[in-house]
Amino acid sequence: MALQITVRECGDVIILDLRGRSTIDGESELLGRHLRKLVDHDVRKVVLNLADLTKIDSSGISIIVGTCAALRRRGGDLKLLCPSGRVLDVLTVVRLLEVIPSFENEAQALGSFGPRGYFATS
Amino acid sequence: MASPCNSVVAQRIALVVLSGGEVDELLTDVLSNEGWSIQRVVDNHEALLLASTTPFDLIITGRKTRALEDVELFRKIRSSRPHTRMIILTDKWVPGDVIAAMREGAFSYFSAPFEASELAAMVRAAMAAPCWDDGIEVLAGTPTWVRLAARCDLATANRLIQFLHGFKDPSIAEADREAVATAFSEILINSMEHGGHFDPSQYVEISFVRMRRAVVCRFKDPGEGFSMEELRHAAVNSPAGDPFSHLAVREAQGLRPGGFGLLLAKKLVDELIYSEHGNDVLLVKYIDPVGSQVT
Repeated sequence: MALQITVRECGDVIILDLRGRSTIDGESELLGRHLRKLVDHDVRKVVLNLADLTKIDSSGISIIVGTCAALRRRGGDLKLLCPSGRVLDVLTVVRLLEVIPSFENEAQALGSFGPRGYFATS
Repeated sequence: MASPCNSVVAQRIALVVLSGGEVDELLTDVLSNEGWSIQRVVDNHEALLLASTTPFDLIITGRKTRALEDVELFRKIRSSRPHTRMIILTDKWVPGDVIAAMREGAFSYFSAPFEASELAAMVRAAMAAPCWDDGIEVLAGTPTWVRLAARCDLATANRLIQFLHGFKDPSIAEADREAVATAFSEILINSMEHGGHFDPSQYVEISFVRMRRAVVCRFKDPGEGFSMEELRHAAVNSPAGDPFSHLAVREAQGLRPGGFGLLLAKKLVDELIYSEHGNDVLLVKYIDPVGSQVT
């Protein structure tokens, strides 16, 4: 499935629900455009909901890493929610989850932005 | 090898051989949303008759026929209308069919099961091309060993990757096929980007070999190569304790965050072997045939 992105707000956190694949054939660029727009609009806290993401390659990983770096430079952060299957395998292989926290439920992900810090489960 | 074509297509007409069900509805939606007119026929015989009198820009075959029958239809149509694009759909994967489709210059190939959205994306790609020029040339091919040249542009890479996804050999576990396809994609893009600089006058030479217990892919790019040890801006060379240290190198070099392709490919296959000059690479995935016992 081509990438579909739904944007939700929860307080000062923006949640992107990703459905489909984030790969080199144009889909990762779509994700990149969405995330760049958020960063440009001074959004600081972003959660990427990967529960329905079926595939990711290095292009998608690069966009996630680049966005996370941009947010952290601005004092914000990016968190991942519910990666599974092949996506989880790929993120594990490139050790992304050692750098970007991942959570099993949305409440934990949202709560991790608070002053108490992370509840990383991975 | 053919060079990119710059002429403008005057007519935008697609011929669809009916598959039935959701595929037909999907094709109608995608084509009509882009303002194309559609003619529909029930089989390849009708398709050939109609194509002899009407110049179609894109032909999409039905799922019920074997790909080789579609390739034969394509060969007849292209003999008089060489710029016709064809996307082959088939319910039945047969060894050698993917190669036959590529050799004849089909735009793409889908063997069931395939995702509707991926078909839609490929149809859009076919529609977006100003005119048809292949970019993939089969230099030699048997069902177990194909050697081809692929033009260094992203659209050609995407088509080639879809052809590989169409290689649904049931004797290889789906997870292994997926691993090979992802690694193939990463190395192909790497070769086209860094070896060929996405210059459409340049070509990457690729071999795909299906051995009894392994799949081997070779990529020979037109670049000057590189030394793996000097690739400090790639994740593959980041130390175990600091997996993203390459990002600081990339930033210092003015590169966007990235550099994960080689690492991902290396982890998904069993061996990734570069030649001394770094512009020639072998990708090896060992496989246990599905249903067989390892002795």
